[in-house]
Amino acid sequence: MGGGKPVPLDKQSHRKVQVLGIDAGGTMTDTFFVDSEGDFVVGKAQSTPQNEALGLIASSKEGLERWGLTLEEALGEIQTGVYSGTAMLNRVVQRKGLRVGLIVNAGMEDFHRMGRAIQAYLGFAYEDRIHLNTHYYDEPLVPRQLTRGVMERVDMSGTVVIPLREETALTSAKDLIDLDVEGIVISLLHSYRNPAHERRVRDIVLEEVRKSGKKIPVFASTDYYPVRKETHRTNTTILEAYAAEPSRQTLNRISTSFKENGSKFDFRVMATHGGTISWKAKELARTIVSGPIGGVIGAKYLGEVLGYSNIACSDIGGTSFDVALITQNELTIRNDPDMARLVLSLPLVAMDSVGAGAGSFIRLDPYTKAIKLGPDSAGYRVGVCWEESGIETVTISDCHVILGYLNPDNFLGGQVKLDRERAWNAMKEQIADPLGLSVEDAAAGVIELLDSDLRDYLRSMISGKGSTPGNFVCFSYGGAGPVHTYGYTEGLGFEDVIVPAWAAGFSAFGCAAADFEYRYDKSLDINIATDAGDDLKTAQAKILQEAWEELKERVLEEFEINGYTPDKVRLQPGFRMQYRGQLNDLEIESPITEAHTSEDWDKLVDAFNDTYGRVYAASARSPELGYSVTGAIMRGTVPIPKPKIPKEELQGETPPEEARLGTRKFYRHKKWVDAQLYQMETLRPGNRITGPAIIESDATTFVVPGGFETFLDGHRLFHLKEV
Amino acid sequence: MAYTKAKIKDLVEGKIDRDTLHTMLSTPKDKERFQIYIEILQEQVEWKDPIILPLGPKLYIVQRQSDKKWMIRSHAGYDFCEWDQNWKLHARIRVRNTAPQMEELYPRLMAPSPEWQVIREYFCPVSGDLLDVEAPTPWYPVIHDFEPDIDTFYKDWLGLPVPERA
Repeated sequence: MGGGKPVPLDKQSHRKVQVLGIDAGGTMTDTFFVDSEGDFVVGKAQSTPQNEALGLIASSKEGLERWGLTLEEALGEIQTGVYSGTAMLNRVVQRKGLRVGLIVNAGMEDFHRMGRAIQAYLGFAYEDRIHLNTHYYDEPLVPRQLTRGVMERVDMSGTVVIPLREETALTSAKDLIDLDVEGIVISLLHSYRNPAHERRVRDIVLEEVRKSGKKIPVFASTDYYPVRKETHRTNTTILEAYAAEPSRQTLNRISTSFKENGSKFDFRVMATHGGTISWKAKELARTIVSGPIGGVIGAKYLGEVLGYSNIACSDIGGTSFDVALITQNELTIRNDPDMARLVLSLPLVAMDSVGAGAGSFIRLDPYTKAIKLGPDSAGYRVGVCWEESGIETVTISDCHVILGYLNPDNFLGGQVKLDRERAWNAMKEQIADPLGLSVEDAAAGVIELLDSDLRDYLRSMISGKGSTPGNFVCFSYGGAGPVHTYGYTEGLGFEDVIVPAWAAGFSAFGCAAADFEYRYDKSLDINIATDAGDDLKTAQAKILQEAWEELKERVLEEFEINGYTPDKVRLQPGFRMQYRGQLNDLEIESPITEAHTSEDWDKLVDAFNDTYGRVYAASARSPELGYSVTGAIMRGTVPIPKPKIPKEELQGETPPEEARLGTRKFYRHKKWVDAQLYQMETLRPGNRITGPAIIESDATTFVVPGGFETFLDGHRLFHLKEV
Repeated sequence: MAYTKAKIKDLVEGKIDRDTLHTMLSTPKDKERFQIYIEILQEQVEWKDPIILPLGPKLYIVQRQSDKKWMIRSHAGYDFCEWDQNWKLHARIRVRNTAPQMEELYPRLMAPSPEWQVIREYFCPVSGDLLDVEAPTPWYPVIHDFEPDIDTFYKDWLGLPVPERA
């Protein structure tokens, strides 16, 4: 870890940089470099939305400088580079995508514009969800005048009810081409069940585009997301045309500018399913959110290497607290997530968020005088303590500054100077005086309130899975995570609480640790009684196998684009199964690579029953209901180099003298104490620190209050425990 | 939270941005809002008599400077009646109670039947501004919408002195 410390001369020359992880956020672009010995360094620079490559190069240079390397030297050696960012999400949120035409069933032309009712309040705080006045509908991605209907109908079983009237497809195609659209999306009812009509329409449109001499890409939903739920499927396919294509150009630009600086690797992008895919991938819409997932993947990877199988991942940033659970080294995947107020059909690593972060605003209810946190926040603008931010309402960060948690002169490595007095005065006027409290007590009360909110949330999430915190190791990361770790874990009884020394760059680390993996999904409707005969089982196995074959082709096709022949690809089929009549399915990794016989079928059922017993309880299994398979999954991976986890010799328990940075007044439990300050990067493995202490780094602050103790292990992980 | 007068003006004119509107809706009302709101309305009318309470779009209760009487007045300056009376009884009224009149507004099969529901439109006699619409059964009296408790509103809710009333 670099930090600001000088580089020992002997290390400068023979460092071999292997992996680059990038997390391009709205404000800051983080880069994360790992060398062949598992050492890493984090670079930070302001994001440059006009040309993202600029911020990336600046951030890389800043990071590599700490290793005494130039960009050219490092890039020549790097074997793998992974990108995650918010550019595509912003493009969708701001409705700055391409002009896309949409072809749907005649008579259904308004369904995209009307959307699903839930889209009127997605992403809202609970209070706003039940407050109807706040609900509103966004502009549709495709306006009504660029939507056309074709006459056809396939029912939910895949039976043709009305044959395709090809002339309506022809007219629609001609209309849209004349209107100069930049992409055409086709999404017909139940096409995931029977794609024949949709494919025929696609071919007619392609033919018309060819005749017109224009270059308009065509996207049929069945070629991308052959899954149930019309609005979800249509939205996702539209995103492919509307936002993914411009993003592809951005990624191409980034890739090119790195190549110009001497890189030899091909960029990959973090995708919602938790793997990384190439920027050349056909399905690029699934890279729409990737930042927060990186942390979860990083935690899973660390867990696999170090032997933690149950992990509660917690990440506090400026605006939200994100929690994800890893059970038995497995992530939970959600199939119909929402993003940018749109319901989508993408596999997404399940994560729960509460709108409470370091930037959350603190207000008093004018009638009850109750303290209210959020739901809105100052985000990157920190709080009143940063004068230039223009923020007037106090935030959690203001409390941190008032109580001595944060060093006002070293926020983001000193890039932002915070003013404690400003925060103090605002806190006094807005919160402390109206409540008749001292400023310290008011600020400490707010922190306690936030901590107990987060703690309750974490507890309920884990008990909702039928488990207890005692079975989990809690990982805490993100810029503001380690400030609160003690607070939201106190008294929960986690098996262990871990703060990686590179907490602030943990998402970028996770991106670098993610597999090169493509994943394709298809909806199925298999229903079978528990005592079904062999014939029936064989028939069902055949349906599943056909779906796997179809998906396998797509996965291999994607790898082919990146120059991997099929023999290099490791394929892992999966399926979603549930007891008949139940509402929730489980995603199961298939124990067999192909399904043909009734014995194969039984193996799939056994795997499901095992998983069900593990996720819920063995006694909750209900095989008497029979089984439904709701979807087929195919994942393909190729081996890639991953960052090594550092392993260093343990040294003495006493931190080295040069790590001590003096003391700072720190307020907790109604009294001011002198907290010992340490520089995070200078601490040695084996060091043990007893609170009250504050461990500072440029991008994060780790608070160890009185009654807590932390130990830095050989992997540069801090273990926090109550004493 | 305080908003600038320009933001409140955007709100009055229906031009406010989505994010600010959302914040306004989901946080407790800003203390100064009513006064700023009234100030903006006052700037938009031609006459000088102070507005005490807005009753609807282009309709207000004002304190008539000449005699300190509280009157219900339209934007164009027409005084309907005193503040606690039913102003609609003094307005120009159009009643839609035939199918052709209804069909000026609704497609045939989506219009109410006039035997069961009529639409009464109330206009300002000076400007012809449509000030209110009600849709009761045909035999229902002209609805007196509400009689605001201005004394309580000013004293207990806003903490302001109640304007003088003759």
